[in-house]
Amino acid sequence: MAVKEKDILNRLYFIAGCMFVFGMAVLFKLFSIQFLQGDKYRALANERVIKDVVIPANRGNVYSVNGNLLATSVPKYDIRFDAITPTSARFEKYLIPLSDSLASYTGKSSKYYQKELRRARANKNRYYLLARNIGYSGYMRLRNFPLLNLGAFKGGLIVEQKTKREHPMGGIAQRSIGYERFDEDGNVTRAGIDGAFGVKYLRGSDGHRRKQKIGKGQWKPLSDANEIEPKDGYDVYTTIDVNIQDIAHHALLKQLEEYEADHGCVVVMEAKTGEVRAISNLGRNDNGHYYERLNYAVGEAIEPGSTFKVMALMAALEDKVVDTSTVIDTKLGYKQFYGRGIYDTHGHGKISAARTLEVSSNIGLATIVDQGYAKNPRKFIAHLQDWGLDKPLGLPILGEGEPVIPQPGDKIWSKNALPSLAYGYNLKLTPLQTLTFYNAIANNGVIVKPRFIKEVKELGKVVESFDKVASDEKICSEKTLKEIQDILKHVVERGTGRSLYSPYFSMAGKTGTAQTEYWMKDWKDNKRYISSFAGYFPADNPKYSCIVVIHKPSVKKGYYGADVTGPVFKRIAQKIHTDTPIVDEVEALDVKVASVESEFENYYKTAQTYKTIMPNVVGLPVMDALALLENMQVDIRVKLEGSGVVKNQSVNHNQKLKNNQIVVLKAS
Amino acid sequence: MQALFKNIKGDRLIWAIAALLAILSFLPVYSASSNLAYKGGSANTFGFFIKHFMHLFLGFAIMYGVHKIPYRYFKGLSLFMMPVVLVLLVITMLQGTTIDGANASRWIQIPIVGMSFQTSTFAYVVLMVYVSRYMSKIKDEVITFKDSILPLWLPVFLVLVLILPANFSTTAIMFLMVLMLVFLGGYPIRYLVLIVGSGVLMLGMFVLVAKAFPDAMPNRVDTWISRVENFANPEDTAADYQIEKAKIAIATGGIQGVGPGKSIQKNFLPQSSSDFIFAIIIEEYGLIGGLFIMILYMWLLFRIVIVSQKSDTVFGKLLVLGVGLPIVFQALINMAVAVELFPVTGQTLPLISSGGTSIWMTCMAVGIILSVSAKREELKEQEETEEESPLEILSETI
Repeated sequence: MAVKEKDILNRLYFIAGCMFVFGMAVLFKLFSIQFLQGDKYRALANERVIKDVVIPANRGNVYSVNGNLLATSVPKYDIRFDAITPTSARFEKYLIPLSDSLASYTGKSSKYYQKELRRARANKNRYYLLARNIGYSGYMRLRNFPLLNLGAFKGGLIVEQKTKREHPMGGIAQRSIGYERFDEDGNVTRAGIDGAFGVKYLRGSDGHRRKQKIGKGQWKPLSDANEIEPKDGYDVYTTIDVNIQDIAHHALLKQLEEYEADHGCVVVMEAKTGEVRAISNLGRNDNGHYYERLNYAVGEAIEPGSTFKVMALMAALEDKVVDTSTVIDTKLGYKQFYGRGIYDTHGHGKISAARTLEVSSNIGLATIVDQGYAKNPRKFIAHLQDWGLDKPLGLPILGEGEPVIPQPGDKIWSKNALPSLAYGYNLKLTPLQTLTFYNAIANNGVIVKPRFIKEVKELGKVVESFDKVASDEKICSEKTLKEIQDILKHVVERGTGRSLYSPYFSMAGKTGTAQTEYWMKDWKDNKRYISSFAGYFPADNPKYSCIVVIHKPSVKKGYYGADVTGPVFKRIAQKIHTDTPIVDEVEALDVKVASVESEFENYYKTAQTYKTIMPNVVGLPVMDALALLENMQVDIRVKLEGSGVVKNQSVNHNQKLKNNQIVVLKAS
Repeated sequence: MQALFKNIKGDRLIWAIAALLAILSFLPVYSASSNLAYKGGSANTFGFFIKHFMHLFLGFAIMYGVHKIPYRYFKGLSLFMMPVVLVLLVITMLQGTTIDGANASRWIQIPIVGMSFQTSTFAYVVLMVYVSRYMSKIKDEVITFKDSILPLWLPVFLVLVLILPANFSTTAIMFLMVLMLVFLGGYPIRYLVLIVGSGVLMLGMFVLVAKAFPDAMPNRVDTWISRVENFANPEDTAADYQIEKAKIAIATGGIQGVGPGKSIQKNFLPQSSSDFIFAIIIEEYGLIGGLFIMILYMWLLFRIVIVSQKSDTVFGKLLVLGVGLPIVFQALINMAVAVELFPVTGQTLPLISSGGTSIWMTCMAVGIILSVSAKREELKEQEETEEESPLEILSETI
């Protein structure tokens, strides 16, 4: 096959042409990626490589009126251990020291940890839990433990930080302080103050920072500054007074436990301002323990029972349907109204209208209201509406209970509705609504809206303050008000609340004992009541109003308002009366105690005398002995065994001390 | 320096293209190696720079040395080197390095120097010279298929079979280049069909054996199949990771590119400084940079054709084409992979990608081309090259 050079060249041109076409195809594909698919891949680039990192804002704190922290966010750490990461040599070397450290941290035995850590390594556990939910100081301590101090890649330390909302006051008023919680689906549960003011004040706004992915799964920030700086949440200063809250909480708790009640609530409000000083809501769990379960005071609309008689009588007095001295025939404890019987616990016979309230006569109040308003029930209802009892208070806290006040024409209205209303049935009010009305009585007839929050601050600077919201008109005339105030005072002095009377401090209020769930068939066999007490103290020039409601106390132990809820009220009134200093400032006690003086003199003298020679520290408190020895001119090491008073010193009195000498003190 | 330039012979433009490619390689390779440095933990990118410089320096030294050799000596050298290459390939294969259970024994350690060396690339050059020699030798003879089996196809298939288990793409490209070369040399087309058929048959048998006895030897059959499948599959799968990153890099580069060292995809492309360097070049220097590189290779192709044309012997022509066209072809394959015109193969971009063997062998090939263009000697019709001692030639030139 004779090959001519020309043939080779022809074939070469063919091959080179093919390569050129191939090159053109590459270029064509290049153009198509850049210009036709370009947008898609550029978008993909951003999606894969750039991410927006949210920098969470610090949530604001919730403070009490005295500046105590009620809710704050703190970092919490879960410490885990990757048992695979450390090399065998390191693991064996540090196993015992690490176990010892862990043992001293948790109080479990070192052997236990040695076994557990070995097992974790054998099981290839890369996520062994060492400690959960520990604070910053605990975290700092753990990460300095042997092995763990080598870090994540050598020591296998895994740290997970999260922010937890803490209530430094513990369970007290937890429900009213509340929280804002997010579940996996992003749904929010908002309870109490924390929940109510979360979005607007506490939450702040999160920051954003754009980051670009680099190797090893790391991300680097794209620019020096954050794209959006996080803005921390504002602090909310509530009206809650920690002392009063504490008193209310424990007074309620004690009574709930004593009466084995289902649940109860207490609200204490400052009469003039409407600021809620304490709100406690305790419910029972399955084990019979009580905890802040639901915000009953705000959320639970109930038939108020006898506490409502005050409203009924006030309407009647205001409309001059009766006078306080009008004689009402309450029969012998039983009277029929429109074919239905109404009972009193005792027969009171013919008594004054004022007395009907003092003794809490159902028949008395039913008679007064029925006589006065049967022809025009709307006139009676109009009063309740004027006092705002038919509408919710409009609190910022979510889940406020809806009150029910029936009107003629409503489904629940009947001939019997009016007399029922008179003694607090056939309508619903929340405890806080009832309290708001009683507070108006205490506050000279002016209704003030209950407030939970006083100010919103940013770094101590007031951002927004919440002033008192008061009604322009009084709830009734001066005369009626005075009469009602007198009656409420008399309730405690000689009425249903007389068992609460104390000559040392005054209070006024009204008991209430309402049947509940009486529509159920088993009520006769298992009677259930709501016991309540609403009022204010001191009786003259009141400072606080307060309501106590306890649901379903054990009937065997008692269920009358005077017995169940009255004592709570009394305890709160008494404690606030005695605990609240009348004079705010106390002069410093500048009394010199001879023994303290002489001890100090001795100590001072010893410190001045012994600089390089061992003093006699036997008999001195350990703290003083340590201070003496460690402040001497020679640098000695003091080892301490036990605590209390020094019993024995390893170096004798008057011996010369050397640098780095070890002195052992035994104390007991 | 002056003296060095005076001693430079051969096609000055090829020298220029090679030098230009080498110089241009520094920035992309340096940029792409930052990821290697970061992942390797040493975080020292300058080491990679020095290493690349050393590779190129040594490469150009090889190029200079080789181009000084009168090209007729390559005939004898190829005959002498053929058995050496086969032995080296066997040693390489027996080393049995594996990556994730797949055979990846492509390198051997050079004793004393401590560098690793990819034997298949060296075998490639030797084989191409060998085939050129054979084709020029038989240029005036009428040969039958049978005649060509022993001197031509036996060595070719021996080399290919030894490379195949570890590196399918190189084997295939080598086979294609050998076919191209014998086609250029005027080998009858009907014989070529036979050879292609038997090549495909052998590959098919190898795949079947590997599938039937997966434990018999470490091989990369599964890798090949999955790569081809991924290429054929139009949907984006997780295995398209590399190619997707390459395309993202190309798309973000735009016309002007994001600028030297600012590539983002270099962090994610596993072979950013070698196999996917073209994508990084386009990301950093844009369409302009990519086009420029393409023009350089096309220019090289053009110069190779010119040198081949001007060479006055058949051996010279075939030798230039035999070692020159594969350089351009490999460059095109590399670029085609980056733009998803071709399935993922481990082909480097000649003279640009990092990696010693690739640079040295390309330099050696360029040196051979330069040697032909230098026309140091008129080709003498010497059929019995076997008589010449290859060692003598070596000692004469080095």
